[in-house]
Amino acid sequence: MTAITTNPPSRAGRAFRRLAHHPSLLIGSGIVLLMVLIAIFAPLIAPHDPYVQDISRRAVPPVWYEKGTWENILGTDQLGRDYLSRLIYGTRVSLLIGFSVVAISGLIGTTLGLLAGYFGGKVDTFVTFIVTVRLAMPVILVALAVVALFGGSMWVVITVLGLLKWDRFAVVVRSTTQQIRALDYIASARTAGASTAWILLREVLPNIAPQLIVIATIEVASAILMEAALSFLGLGVQPPLPSWGLMISEAKSYMFFSFWLIAIPGTALATLVFAINLAGDGLRDMITPERS
Amino acid sequence: MLKPLLSVRDLRVDLNTRSGVLHAVRGISFDVAPGETLCIVGESGCGKSMTSLALMDLLPRVARRSADEITFDGQDLTRRRIAGKLRGRRMAMIFQEPMTALNPAFTIGDQMVEAYLYHVGGTRAQAVDRAAQMLEKVGIGSARSRLGQYPHQLSGGLRQRVMIAMALMTDPELLIADEPTTALDVTIQAQILRLLKDLQQELGLAIILITHDLGLVSRIADRIVVMYAGAIVEEGTAAEIFDRPAHPYTRALIDCIPQPGKTERGAPLGTIPGVVPLLIGRQDGCAFRDRCSLAQPRCADDIPTQDAGSHHWVCIHGGQA
Amino acid sequence: MLIYILKRLGLALIVALTVSVIAFALLRASGDIATALAGEGATPESIAVIRQTYGLDRPVVVQYFAWLWDVARGDFGQSFFFRTDVAGLIFGKIGNTLILGGASLAIALALSIPLGVLAAIYSGSMIDRAVTMFSLLGQALPSFFLGLALIMIFAIRLRWFPASGTDGWRNFVLPAVTLGYYITPPFMRLVRAGMIDALNTDYVRTARAKGLPARRVVFKHALRNALVPVVGLVAVQLGLLMGGSVVVESIFALDGLGYLAYQSISYRDFPVLQAVVLLLSLAYVVLTLLSDIINAWLDPRLRAA
Repeated sequence: MTAITTNPPSRAGRAFRRLAHHPSLLIGSGIVLLMVLIAIFAPLIAPHDPYVQDISRRAVPPVWYEKGTWENILGTDQLGRDYLSRLIYGTRVSLLIGFSVVAISGLIGTTLGLLAGYFGGKVDTFVTFIVTVRLAMPVILVALAVVALFGGSMWVVITVLGLLKWDRFAVVVRSTTQQIRALDYIASARTAGASTAWILLREVLPNIAPQLIVIATIEVASAILMEAALSFLGLGVQPPLPSWGLMISEAKSYMFFSFWLIAIPGTALATLVFAINLAGDGLRDMITPERS
Repeated sequence: MLKPLLSVRDLRVDLNTRSGVLHAVRGISFDVAPGETLCIVGESGCGKSMTSLALMDLLPRVARRSADEITFDGQDLTRRRIAGKLRGRRMAMIFQEPMTALNPAFTIGDQMVEAYLYHVGGTRAQAVDRAAQMLEKVGIGSARSRLGQYPHQLSGGLRQRVMIAMALMTDPELLIADEPTTALDVTIQAQILRLLKDLQQELGLAIILITHDLGLVSRIADRIVVMYAGAIVEEGTAAEIFDRPAHPYTRALIDCIPQPGKTERGAPLGTIPGVVPLLIGRQDGCAFRDRCSLAQPRCADDIPTQDAGSHHWVCIHGGQA
Repeated sequence: MLIYILKRLGLALIVALTVSVIAFALLRASGDIATALAGEGATPESIAVIRQTYGLDRPVVVQYFAWLWDVARGDFGQSFFFRTDVAGLIFGKIGNTLILGGASLAIALALSIPLGVLAAIYSGSMIDRAVTMFSLLGQALPSFFLGLALIMIFAIRLRWFPASGTDGWRNFVLPAVTLGYYITPPFMRLVRAGMIDALNTDYVRTARAKGLPARRVVFKHALRNALVPVVGLVAVQLGLLMGGSVVVESIFALDGLGYLAYQSISYRDFPVLQAVVLLLSLAYVVLTLLSDIINAWLDPRLRAA
């Protein structure tokens, strides 16, 4: 055999090549990244102020309709606000809520899962019980009720969804931690006298990180959809904030005449969630070694 | 020799892998006569299991089969329709893992009668009678009540007996047994082997036994095919192979068999040093030469097949070299 | 087995009670119900009257146990808004939600089983990819958007089905399609993964070796085993189904439990809301138990345990 010397590919190069093998991850994360950029630079991109009403220009159709104008590319809503600008600002609401909810629920779920999986015994029994209680609670109803009682605002929505949606994190982290705990190097770290907190944070957590990232993507998508559903039902984000779910809700009574008022934010919502799930799927394929 | 029951000419099995095409079986040819036991022996990875799966058309999806000829009783097995009629009817197969080869969700009886009803027909009651009869034939007592049991309620040895009984339901002429005793305890192994031998005599069954265990082969084989790296390196009657092994690989395999009286208690069992070559890409010359004590430079060239009657081997050395 | 079931039933009860405590605490912590009930501009006197009528002047713990005691006797109290018996109210609407849920589940299974099997048989092919895309799309389409789109197409343009109401079976078609497609993706993924595993098992190879036709191998030997986890998912999906039914029933103005729950939240009709929450959490735990029992029945290896 002749040994062929090659330069080991750089870390970034390797990561990129792996990415290229997973087109769904590439496409999904590409769209998400684009949406994030749109959200960040919304004030620069949006052609109009999303809150300014113009009663004389109500429900102008998008530019591809006969009566559409380039002034309002996606038309205006029933209050004469520029629809494209509202759509762009709506990206902010969706993404902010999606990521904030997962930050809270991920923290709660991971902590519970780590404790249950690592300590087992009574701790595990207790955590399993509260997970069951949580699963038995109808999330939408509880979320709707809380928003109805405490008043709708973005922060109430984020808090209530964050406090409700930690179950998947807890379940997966618990079982993964159980598996990792049984491994040799954790046992040797224990006998070497490492503190529990150190073991959990430095040994266990990095090892469950891939699964955590996959769940997090699924949960971001789910939180975005849930916020949209709450806002659609009138018990989420409150007007005049441009949330896509709220935009659909506000357009509901006009749907017979101007269905695009519903189709545009609906498509945006579906595209964002689709892209996040696509990226999540690709990530899962990438981190789980092939079956065959 | 009688008109062969099964004829195989230039059988090849290729598997697509990430690192290239793996030639698991590299153009092998052999015959099986009615009522005879042919043993295909070799180390794991030599292509013997792939050969048996190829005959039954059970290869995994990544594998491709090609052959100049595969005929069963004169009928072309490479044609799907013909193979479909023969498989499970006139040729049957049993596998290595009796623990997983039976479906956990259905009773023994259900799984035994289904192929019979499909191929032979008749009423369910007739099929159940036949199943009970077959279970008794393979030495399972209280057969009727066993039919209502699920696989997990039986031991490994019993399950392999059930597998054999199930294979015999349609009264096949050929039974392909892929390592049928490897997963079993030694005492059970002997029982199953004895059973196969008895059934063969009683039913006039031809058997292809795939195994890595030459000790097993010595007790049952009429003829033996030795495979190495996807190719046949030696073929002959049991007497020829055991008394006058011609290929160095065959001799090395025979030396690995522990022999009562000769092999010292606790002494390490013989092993063949080195590893099986990679099966990806072409193989020029003798594939065994890297592990062979008799290797010479010309082993890298084309190797002629030598014959002595029914005894063939692929090696540059003569019979008793 | 019996002891196991009893134990699980006990746990189910404790879980449902815990949920009801949380729900109760949440509702009472949210401010003064009496003030809310009396409406704007009510005099302090009328608020006091309301407080006394509904027993809201007692400590919260006392209120909870009083409520629990009533519930134990089958009395869910009076609806603030509808001014009728809560039990009767729920009983009158639960049928519609069960029909909707059953129809949606049937649609989801009718879609996911054949598509999942197809994707598994041809895994890695274009068919597989198309099925995966279809399922990802189902996950991404908000049910209210899909519902409104279906109304636009099939109720307004084509006039095949009514847009709202609860008059006959036609009213259930569009909601059931909306909700069914919404819960299809998880089933499809599970069927696909289970079938890929099952098709690679030794017992499927045995079935093929027996010369059985491909249909029988796939549908009898592989599918039977691949469907075992699907039963478990049905119970877990109930939550999703219920959440979805709140949204879907309000879009289509379908007179079911989800719509009632939504109304009870809008009108601060706490007795109704509490009863619905308790009922749903009970249903969840009981269904999970039921799915475990069915699983044991489907998988003979678990039956003895």
